Amino acid sequence: MKRLILLAPAILLSGCLTFGTTAPVRQKFPDVPPELLKSCPDLQLASQTDKLSDVLKIVNENYSRYHECRVAVDTWIEWYKTQKEIYNK
Amino acid sequence: MFLLSFIPDALIQLIVNGVLIAGIVGCVVSFFFGFFVRWMPWVIPYRMLLQIVALVLLIAGVYFKGGIGVEMEWRERLRIAEEKVRVAEEKSQQVNTVIEKVYVDRVKTVKDTQIVVQEKIVEKEKIIDAECKVPKEALDILNDAAKSPGGKK
Repeated sequence: MKRLILLAPAILLSGCLTFGTTAPVRQKFPDVPPELLKSCPDLQLASQTDKLSDVLKIVNENYSRYHECRVAVDTWIEWYKTQKEIYNK
Repeated sequence: MFLLSFIPDALIQLIVNGVLIAGIVGCVVSFFFGFFVRWMPWVIPYRMLLQIVALVLLIAGVYFKGGIGVEMEWRERLRIAEEKVRVAEEKSQQVNTVIEKVYVDRVKTVKDTQIVVQEKIVEKEKIIDAECKVPKEALDILNDAAKSPGGKK
């Protein structure tokens, strides 16, 4: 009987340790919009011509490609900042 | 412990409380055995057994009471964490939708501007080409500049 009484505190204290478990809760890494996963296109090369207007058309096309690419990078930055803010909350 | 998650909380509480109360009652009875034995003389031969069972029930009751408290606390923490993750994932999805729309709008603006400039070039083509001829060397330089320095990935 006395032995049982001596054993009691040890058993009682071990209860808290036995029941405690770690809960695996994981947040899924957010998917980025598929449009942003495309890489920037190469710049267009000018074909052999002596007309300045043709060259200007190519330059205009290339400027446009650059601006599109910049929009994509800016959107990536915005996406990253916003998602990070949500993740760290 | 894993199997505990399949049993409803209320049922676990009920069983644990039952064991604890039975243990307390048994210990009280065995402590004041002389007092209770007046009404139940037939339990005299079982005194030792009653003491042991009551003590075991009391220890088990207190053990499980403490354990269940911790278990409930963990379940609550898990619920809160899951809720947080759910809200974050929902927000993240909403942000994606908004960002996607903003991106499409910005690209459309770029394309529209390009079309306008292209139309201007076509409109002024004769003026532009009238007094200027582009030498081949200039085109080569322009093309060299347009090529990706690192090569295509």
